[in-house]
Amino acid sequence: MMCRDFDLAIIGAGLSGLIAAAKAAEMGKKVLLLAKGMGVVELSTGCIDLWGYCLEQPEEVCRRPVDEIARMVGINREHPYAKVQDVLEESMRFFQRVCSDNGCHYLENKGDNWLLPTAFGTVRPTYLVPASMAVRSLFKAKSVLVVGFKELKDFYPEMLVRNLKKSGEFDPGCHMKTAITGVGGGELTPNALASRLEQPDILTGVISRVRNFLSPGSLVLFPPVLGDRRDTGVALKLARGLECPVYEVSNIPPALPGQRLLKTLLHYLKVIGVEVIMGCKATGAEISGGHCLRLDAEGAGGSIKIRSRAFVLATGSFLGGGLEARPGYACETVFNLPVKAIEGNWWDKDFFNKDGHPFSKFGIVVNDRLQPVDGVGRVLVENLMVVGASLAGCNYPVEKCGGGVAVATGYKAGKLAGEVGR
Amino acid sequence: MAIFDTQVVVIGGGATGTGILRDLSLRGIKGILVEQCDLAHGTSSRFHGLLHSGARYAVKDPEAARECLEENMILRRIAPNCVENTGGFFIQLPGDDPGYADKWIAACTEVGIEIEEADVRNLLKCSPALNKRIIRAFKVMDRTVDGFRLIRANVNAARRRGGRVMTYSRVTAIHQSGGSVTGVELTNMLTGEKSLIGCQMAVNASGPWIGEVAALVGLEVNVIKDKGTLIAFNHRLTNQVLNRLRPPGDGDIFVPHGAITILGTTSIAVDDPGDTRPECREVLDLIEIGRQMVPELEKCRLIRAFAGVRPLYQQTTAVSGRLVSRNFALLDHRQLDGLDGLISIVGGKFSTFRLMAERTVDLVARRLGVNAPCRTAREPLTNPVPKGALKRGIKVLGLSVAQRAAKRLGDDFAEVVRQAGHDPQKRRIFCECELVSLGEIEHVARDGDCFTLGDVRRKTRMGMGTCQGTFCCYRTLGALSKYPRFVVGDRLFLTDFLRNRWKGITPVLWGQQLREAQLSLGIYFTIFGLERMK
Repeated sequence: MMCRDFDLAIIGAGLSGLIAAAKAAEMGKKVLLLAKGMGVVELSTGCIDLWGYCLEQPEEVCRRPVDEIARMVGINREHPYAKVQDVLEESMRFFQRVCSDNGCHYLENKGDNWLLPTAFGTVRPTYLVPASMAVRSLFKAKSVLVVGFKELKDFYPEMLVRNLKKSGEFDPGCHMKTAITGVGGGELTPNALASRLEQPDILTGVISRVRNFLSPGSLVLFPPVLGDRRDTGVALKLARGLECPVYEVSNIPPALPGQRLLKTLLHYLKVIGVEVIMGCKATGAEISGGHCLRLDAEGAGGSIKIRSRAFVLATGSFLGGGLEARPGYACETVFNLPVKAIEGNWWDKDFFNKDGHPFSKFGIVVNDRLQPVDGVGRVLVENLMVVGASLAGCNYPVEKCGGGVAVATGYKAGKLAGEVGR
Repeated sequence: MAIFDTQVVVIGGGATGTGILRDLSLRGIKGILVEQCDLAHGTSSRFHGLLHSGARYAVKDPEAARECLEENMILRRIAPNCVENTGGFFIQLPGDDPGYADKWIAACTEVGIEIEEADVRNLLKCSPALNKRIIRAFKVMDRTVDGFRLIRANVNAARRRGGRVMTYSRVTAIHQSGGSVTGVELTNMLTGEKSLIGCQMAVNASGPWIGEVAALVGLEVNVIKDKGTLIAFNHRLTNQVLNRLRPPGDGDIFVPHGAITILGTTSIAVDDPGDTRPECREVLDLIEIGRQMVPELEKCRLIRAFAGVRPLYQQTTAVSGRLVSRNFALLDHRQLDGLDGLISIVGGKFSTFRLMAERTVDLVARRLGVNAPCRTAREPLTNPVPKGALKRGIKVLGLSVAQRAAKRLGDDFAEVVRQAGHDPQKRRIFCECELVSLGEIEHVARDGDCFTLGDVRRKTRMGMGTCQGTFCCYRTLGALSKYPRFVVGDRLFLTDFLRNRWKGITPVLWGQQLREAQLSLGIYFTIFGLERMK
């Protein structure tokens, strides 16, 4: 049995946990990040969605997400954004700086949402995007070429093009074409393909084959497999070789942009001395007098007890494993905190209901310092903060705000922990 | 308007309707089967997939029991790749009336159903999931059957002899002249186009919709529409069918199919024959009752719930639900109502569909003056996949994919393997849960009666596994871009498919399935933004 002491112990390696760790460590704290698995960052698009659509017209893409959030929290005090409005913009800048400093550039669109194409041919609003995905002026393109790989099973250029055409936003003169290229060999996973594309001779081959399909002024869209390193070197080399802008579109997992983001953040945590323990599940905690004294965790190497001045719960929602549901009730898996759920049906009958499903909003209620509170607002555990998808009140599938909430709440928790004792 | 001509129009593409089409074609009678949706979308795929030994009905309904027994033997012989020889047990638990067991033993003996008392200790050793407090257990010859496969086999057999099938074709009028049926008017449910089939006779085999079809000519056929909900567990909890040794009731049958187990059923009268929405309450009730036989049931991962509407026939309206006979009735509307050329086949069970078809076509043949005898009990419905073809398949597709595909495809297996041998792309696994290759998906997509992703699903099992289509429906749609039928509306195809899957997921939305649902939302809302797609 191991027993360790920290200033801050974070449970969960999702986006919010990673950001909390980065911020607190930057402020000189001794930080531990403990996680059962790799979190859902690598399943994500790799983009940071902040707020997608207008409050009054939910079909209209919102042009000033930060302002829209300010209006929204004026109406909805239960939304996680309401607890972190003081640090929202600061947290975005922090995120951008950390990623850029570590080789993975994230771009914003002058305060506006980006409208980026997906592999299905839809366009989605998002706020901070890796340079390899930042398609500027998609709808002004004179010509779009969508390139697939014959080794890849989950990307269909023809489907992308026919749906993109239906978006109705393009210049009628815009010419859309598809091409299938290859790197040799049979079926490849996105990761195996991405790794092949890091090899210069293979990339040169792809460039010479794709060149034949190009028309002047083309914008080229690829599946999200352009390299498996943190940087976006492959996309840059492709753009240089093809002499036109090259982008990755978002797709179902496994996709590389989310994995690159995870790699980038983990790399930074290593650089700034955060201790990271993976494959280790938090099993319980000792709480006394409203304070968490100790966290118990179990991994392949045995069990450990962790003492820390503060703790951050960043275990996610149901998908991440932070919440668990049984018929009729939901619970939180480490501290057994009360989960705000609803009576009655947890879902809507229609999977594609535009208001989403009630279960998306289930989670832990916190105060402005991200401490978990009970039904009347009393703090349940003084030195515990809850961040990211574990929080109640956020309908992220519909609002398009999962990444923003994770970054902002994680940042705030890291900052609050960093300020202790100063 | 397209106009067709045939001798007999069969209304309804379930087990009975397709069985009738096969029987007609074996007797050299021309027939067209019309179905309002896809084949097997109704009751014939919405049951537990149990081929009864007859024992369940021995006490209450010896005639139905005898029919089950005989048909069980016949189907095993003629359709080996659709039937799995699992065997089954009847289990008596503490609290079950011991007197019923004695009554049941006597009734089974009377009917001629083989039963054998099993050693409880041995049984518990082989089936550790069972309740340790079992009092008595009896082995019976229950088997499992794949409804989708059997119906396709019927259709393939009929097609080889000139039988035709028109899916997504709802009967919107039955034409008559001088007291005889002369034709059937159809509306295509996908395009809205109308067509007409001239015929001498029409057979109403539309299961729970039988009253709706009869009403088209102003007749009344009284069926009780009895909804039965079932749940699918993501484990093979038992290797044999498990029945409770007590009067038939809810939640007392477990049926293993491949890697999953189905537990059913409930029994609720409904008004709408299309009311197949399972409710969470029913699922919880099923688990509660099922736990008596399999105590750890609560901890098992559920995949989905589904419901079918049994068409129970009764001449009077005084009884309902499980008290109504599971027997079938052949209604000759010439005798009953003075309308020549219309026959309805009502009630019955999946297990006895072949017999129902035989009785129906006997009458049709008599009316048409055809003397050919019924051959459906002797003629093989599917042939076992030859050893050589399986060997080649294993080489091309790998062991587990080939074995599953051979069972699903039966006679078409060799062709799919041949094509996959030429084209490595076709060997790709598109549905990882059910191990369905692109070759198999393309094979059914080329088929004349495949119009939606749901049709591909019913024919291949694509999207029936733990992910419930989250990954495979997207890639299937992408890969089918070369078929004009599948490029008309990607949004509609995907949303229809996922909405239908959702119907069966919501009643079991907790534990792992809620995680799966959140992943699904992550993909279709967050990554693709499909909910707002125009």
